[in-house]
Amino acid sequence: MNRDVLVIGGGIAGMQASLDLGEMGFQVHLVERLPSIGGKMSQLDKTFPTNDCAL
Amino acid sequence: MDVGRHPKIRLLAYSEIEKIDGEMGNFHITVRKKARYVDEKKCTGCGTCAEKCPTVTSDAYNLGLGKAKAIYKYFAQGIPSAYTINANVCRQLQGKKCGVCAKVCQAGAIDYKQQEQIIEFDVGAIIVATGYDLFDATKIPEYGYGRLPNVVTALEFERFLSASGPTHGHVYRRSDLALMDALPEAEKSQQKAAKGLEQLEKKGGMSSADFYAKYEAGELQGEEYDKWAEQVKVSRAATEKLEAMKAKVDQIEGAHRLAFIQCVGSRDIRFNKYCSGFCCMHAVKEAIIGLEHDRDAEVYIFGMDIRAVGKNFEEYRNRGAGSGIKFIRSRVAEIYEDKDHTPILVYEDTKERQVKQLPVDLVILATACQPSEGIVKMAATVGIETNDFGFIKTASYPPLSTSRPGVFVCGCAVSPMDIPESVAQASSAAARAAQVLSGSETERLAS
Repeated sequence: MNRDVLVIGGGIAGMQASLDLGEMGFQVHLVERLPSIGGKMSQLDKTFPTNDCAL
Repeated sequence: MDVGRHPKIRLLAYSEIEKIDGEMGNFHITVRKKARYVDEKKCTGCGTCAEKCPTVTSDAYNLGLGKAKAIYKYFAQGIPSAYTINANVCRQLQGKKCGVCAKVCQAGAIDYKQQEQIIEFDVGAIIVATGYDLFDATKIPEYGYGRLPNVVTALEFERFLSASGPTHGHVYRRSDLALMDALPEAEKSQQKAAKGLEQLEKKGGMSSADFYAKYEAGELQGEEYDKWAEQVKVSRAATEKLEAMKAKVDQIEGAHRLAFIQCVGSRDIRFNKYCSGFCCMHAVKEAIIGLEHDRDAEVYIFGMDIRAVGKNFEEYRNRGAGSGIKFIRSRVAEIYEDKDHTPILVYEDTKERQVKQLPVDLVILATACQPSEGIVKMAATVGIETNDFGFIKTASYPPLSTSRPGVFVCGCAVSPMDIPESVAQASSAAARAAQVLSGSETERLAS
């Protein structure tokens, strides 16, 4: 059994899954198609319903 | 962001999955890392290269609303912070003479000869979190997106609202932005014409005004004078054009009347039958922020209903109504514009049972959440199935399992969902992957 994990996509879901697995101690390989991770959420100014800054 | 710094996360940005062999517990992964033409390890992200780069192109992150250079950082806080060269527009990579970025880079990070890399490794489990794409609003011609400059999408409007966006957080009509953009060009051509005139004046020994009066009176004749007269006309036209533009630009005020149109490509049998879920609250949020930017703004939300299903969502909607958002129950039929590019909405007010028209400064379309463009190819590469809507097919129980054991999915690759739900699903998918890696999934499947 290999103990590494692959996450495809570096948006909010991919980042959260990677962080959770990293915190559990598994080696994570995060693959993102674009030059930077962040996904669509990084393009949002603020988020509902709290109007917190997205970044 | 913690992802870039985490010791257990290896980030492969600007990369795509090439092949996945093997099975749960022992997958063999092949990744193709595209050439950035910049060494990620050496680049400090200082930005001198982009400052000096002579090639200007449109900015993908700001959805083409802003400008970027051929060497760019996808966005300011992007991770990894390394720059990337857009090979399609870079002069050096197109075989022309340039090399400016390599000259100015103090870290020596520019590498025009960088090649694609194939990276292989093994994993026990896979999480697919490939997200979504937005509906292409040009498919609804009656809304005029792409044709009418002051009809924008909700994500484009988001970039307008952002302090780090192309307008530094000021909301303008896009037609006014185009006018402001065109001003330096008009100034340049006016100056050029004036300079040409100056040379002729020096040579002729009189002012152009004196010359032109005499020329018109027929006192001066000949080819030389004809040329001069032509130049006077060119210069006068350029000045007039510039003055007219300046007067218009001086009058520009921010967009004051905003109309949001919901369900653009969602709940529409022509396109996507499903509800995209997050757009109602997204519109309310953008409307509230629009009102925060401009307290006297007139803000309308046109839709069939507001679906405020979530913690504190209904309260958020009511807060929006309290701060002045007018909710109009209607599906807008058509948008046309007057000669000043002011969009005019034609709609039926279903409460008053009347067809009405409403001129506004900016129309914001809530475009649907759709399966991402590359999802079919990606699903084939990963070896998983898609459902009738084109999203990744999941089991009804356990909900994040795909058709291939050991591969889980979360976020908008599953179906439209908002950020809190995506985050919750991501943690759930992570827990499921951990079950595989600890061996308990194998036991569950065997029992």
